[in-house]
Amino acid sequence: MKMIQANNLFKSFGQHTVLNDVSFEVNKGEVIAVIGPSGSGKSTLLRCLNGLEEIDSGIIAIESEHYADKNHGGKDKINLKEKKNIATKLGMVFQHINLFPHKTVLENVIEAPITVLKMKKNDAIPLGEALLEKVGLLDKKDFYPSKISGGQKQRVAIARALGMNPDIMLFDEPTSSLDPELVGEVQKVIADLVKEKMTMMIVTHEMRFAEEVADRIIFMDEGRIIADEKPEKIFYNPEHPRIMSFIENIAMRQLIDKD
Amino acid sequence: MENYLQYIYDSSIFILKGSILTVQLYFVTIVFSIPLGIILALMKISKYKFLKLSIGFYTWVFRGTPLLLQLFFTYYGLSIFGINLPPFTAAALTFVINYSAYLTEIYRAGIESIDKGQYEAAKALNMNYYQTMKRIILPQVVRRTIPPTCNEAINLVKDTALVVIIGMGDLLRSAKELFSRDFAVTPFIIAAVIYLLMTSVIVFFFKKIEVKYSIYE
Repeated sequence: MKMIQANNLFKSFGQHTVLNDVSFEVNKGEVIAVIGPSGSGKSTLLRCLNGLEEIDSGIIAIESEHYADKNHGGKDKINLKEKKNIATKLGMVFQHINLFPHKTVLENVIEAPITVLKMKKNDAIPLGEALLEKVGLLDKKDFYPSKISGGQKQRVAIARALGMNPDIMLFDEPTSSLDPELVGEVQKVIADLVKEKMTMMIVTHEMRFAEEVADRIIFMDEGRIIADEKPEKIFYNPEHPRIMSFIENIAMRQLIDKD
Repeated sequence: MENYLQYIYDSSIFILKGSILTVQLYFVTIVFSIPLGIILALMKISKYKFLKLSIGFYTWVFRGTPLLLQLFFTYYGLSIFGINLPPFTAAALTFVINYSAYLTEIYRAGIESIDKGQYEAAKALNMNYYQTMKRIILPQVVRRTIPPTCNEAINLVKDTALVVIIGMGDLLRSAKELFSRDFAVTPFIIAAVIYLLMTSVIVFFFKKIEVKYSIYE
C-alpha cells in the first residue's frame, strides 16, 4: 500500500525555490531517511506533508487519499475538513521538540487524545502511561518538561505524537538540537519503531543512523531529489558528484572528530 | 492622648466608609477589563485587517490621552449629546475602557512572545485554533503577563482617586473633607495607610498566583 505519494511538488519562499519538482512515494512500513546539505528543502518537504507549510503546486496523497492538489496560483482543490481528517494519519516530531512547558510529561502525551480525539481522561491516562513506558519514561510522567533532559524531552515528544495513533511518523532532525551524548537514547526509540514496521520519514544529519534504519535514502539538493536509492548505493557507490562530495565531506568531518 | 486615638479611630471609620466606593469601582474594573483585554488582544492578532486597525486605533486613543480627560468626557462631555450617566456608571465605564486598552497591549505582547513551535506542535497534533489558544497558548500567556497585570492592578487602586473630579465621594475625598474640617494631616496619613494596605493585598494576591503558575519553570 502506498502511504505517501507526492507528485511534482513546488514551493518557494519569495524568490527562493525550496521545493523544485519533487516526486516520491513511500510504501507501508518503509523507513525513508532524507539527507542532503543545509537549505536543500528537507525540512520544508516534511512540513508540506503535514500541512505546516502549503505547497505552491503539486499533488500529495496520503494512503491514496488526496491531501493537497494545487495548480500554480490556484486554490487547493481539497477542502480543509478533508485535509484535517487526513492529517490525523501523520505524526510529527520536531527539531526544537516543542513540548508544552506548562503541562507535565503525561499531560503532554494525553492532551491531544483528550481534546482532539475526545477520549475520556480515564482512558487516555493508561494510553499515555503505556506510551511513556514504551519510550522508557514512565517514572517521569509527573515531571514538567523543564525538569528533564533534552533527550528525555524528545522521547516524550515521540510518545506525544504516537498518542494520536498515526500511521506515518515524520521526524524533522529529531536529534539535531541535542547534546551528542543524548542522541543515542532518541535514536534507540526511533529504531524500536522501525522494528514495529511504522512507516517513517526521517530528516537527519546522522549518516550512520540513516544507513542503519532506512530502507531508502532520499538525497535532496537545492530543492530537488537527486537520488532515491538504497542506503548501500548512496553511501558506498554514489553516482552523482554532489552526493559524492557530500558523503566525503561528512566522512572527513567524522575522522576529524575522532582525532 | 486618648482623645487623639479616638480621633484616629473616628477618622479611619469615616475614611473607610468613603473607600467602599473605591473598592466597588476597583472590582468592576478588574472583573471586566481582564477578560476584555484578552478578547481584544486575540482580535488584535487576528488576520482580519479591519479588526486589527480598529483595535489599534482604540488602544492608541485610550493609552495616549489622560484618564482624567476620558472621565471628563464620559461624565460631562456626553451630557451635551443628551447622555447623562450617573457618576458611578460613567466612572466604571471609563475605567473599564481605559484599563482594557492597556491590558489588550499587555496580552497582545504576551501572545506574541510565545514560541511559534508551540503553535506548530499543536497543529501537528491536529488541535484547532480554539483548542490551541485555550489549552496551549493562553495558559502560558497568563503566566508571563502576571507581573505587568499586577502593575496595572496597583495603578488602578491609585487611579480610582480621580473620581473625585466628577463629584463622587471616595477614600481620598473623605480624607480631604476631614482635613478641611480639622485642619490636621492625620486624615491624609490614614488615607495613605489604607491605600498601602490595599496595594499590599493586591501584591500578595498576585504573588500567590505567580507561585501557583510558576511550578512548571
